[in-house]
Amino acid sequence: MVEKNDAEHILIIDDEESILDGCRQALEKSGYSVITTSDGPEGIRIAREKKPDLAFVDLKMPNCSGMDIIELLSKDLPGIVLIVITGYASIVSAVEAMKKGAYDYLPKPFTPDQLRAVTKRGLEHRFLKIEADRLREEKERMEKNFITFVSHEMRSPLVTIQQYIESLKAIAGDDLKKEVLEIIERCDKRIQSLQDLVEHWLDLSRIENGTFSQAKESLDLKELLEKSIEELNPLCARREISLVSDLRDDLPNIMGDHESLLRVFTNIIGNATKYTPAGGTISVDTDFDDYYIYVKIADTGTGIPQDKLPFIFEPFYRVKGKAERQKGSGLGLTFSKKIMEAHDGKIEASSKEGEGTTFILKFPRLYEL
Amino acid sequence: MDSKKKILLIDDDKDFLMATKLILEKGGYEVFLAEDGHSGVEAAKSVGPDLAIIDMMMETWSEGFNVVSQLRTSESGKEIPLIMLSAVDLQGPYQSFEPPDNLPTVDMVLHKPIKADDLLKHVGHLLEK
Repeated sequence: MVEKNDAEHILIIDDEESILDGCRQALEKSGYSVITTSDGPEGIRIAREKKPDLAFVDLKMPNCSGMDIIELLSKDLPGIVLIVITGYASIVSAVEAMKKGAYDYLPKPFTPDQLRAVTKRGLEHRFLKIEADRLREEKERMEKNFITFVSHEMRSPLVTIQQYIESLKAIAGDDLKKEVLEIIERCDKRIQSLQDLVEHWLDLSRIENGTFSQAKESLDLKELLEKSIEELNPLCARREISLVSDLRDDLPNIMGDHESLLRVFTNIIGNATKYTPAGGTISVDTDFDDYYIYVKIADTGTGIPQDKLPFIFEPFYRVKGKAERQKGSGLGLTFSKKIMEAHDGKIEASSKEGEGTTFILKFPRLYEL
Repeated sequence: MDSKKKILLIDDDKDFLMATKLILEKGGYEVFLAEDGHSGVEAAKSVGPDLAIIDMMMETWSEGFNVVSQLRTSESGKEIPLIMLSAVDLQGPYQSFEPPDNLPTVDMVLHKPIKADDLLKHVGHLLEK
């Protein structure tokens, strides 16, 4: 907060003693604390030392340039409000001074009321600027704290509930009816998806505020895709979906974060399994040209209507609406898009209803310079 | 003679203590609980457990390490197996955590929540050694 009880400090740098005196009288009468000097370098020294709230600087002084003082002080003291004092004939130079960081100008000759009005407005501007800075910092701090808070306060109870379910199964599992055990299993699953949701949401928040840690290294996409395919093979087998791949051996490496890209591929392929009926196919191909490296993940699933395609990367968006909810946090595609963007890449989807959906992930091709 | 092995469980979440205690008791152990690091170290002295399980993040996110190093330098905790529990959020405060040079060693780190079977299996193994 700006301290209102202290008198605001005003520095006046002008070579005319009569102006200094006049300004001092007018401003002190209004309760401001005023320092004056007729010497430019002395003015700079005072400003650096006393850090006044506002400074008037005469543009035309015999031994030094007011313009230089403006430029220097606006760089040195970001919080200071600078106002140039100028003759009627030099409006052009007043404009130049404002470009260099002055907030306002006061044309000579001026009355005490004009001086006080300009001063008041300048200080209000300063107050608002400080308030805005403070609020921005506060907002950033709260966002960061909120993420840490969620991370701890939301996970702990979930973990504890899961532990209770484990203990329930351990101590009474054998005595419970099949139906009861089934209810317990369902609770467990729902809690697990809530936990996934919290994790995914946290990841997104961290990507957004720049605290998501990624370690970029040279990566072989083929290797990464094979890992991802291996991970999803059992699921596809269970759902009777054939997961086929055609991965080029000569694919150039990319710079990327192993962990997050693996999650992207697993997300997209996993997503395809949800919308592909038994007997369908998911294919994973790679390709490259002079500029890009492509990963294509295509399914023969239900497809996405054209009018809904633009929204699929939005958080929590569901193509089918509530009635046919698919499992998942609803954040997988959003996460994938953000991660691709963090790799200077792109993810695009095309689809035909009833025929399937194709995702193309594009990475920039890098050349050794 | 009571041949039940004694396990000391230190965690600041009462419910987590209770849930884990039930599992360990089902496994045939005698379980002692402590809700913070200080009383955990005290309990170790009076109980003389055969094994201790310590949550990493209690009052502060590295409280568990303090407890472990205190146990490791005490008569009652010097020789026994120690299990550290973590619900670590790898993107969280641990990202900037630099372990001290003299980081006390634990016998095992388990991630919360712990499957009942896994917990009993690991505890059993450590106590057999």
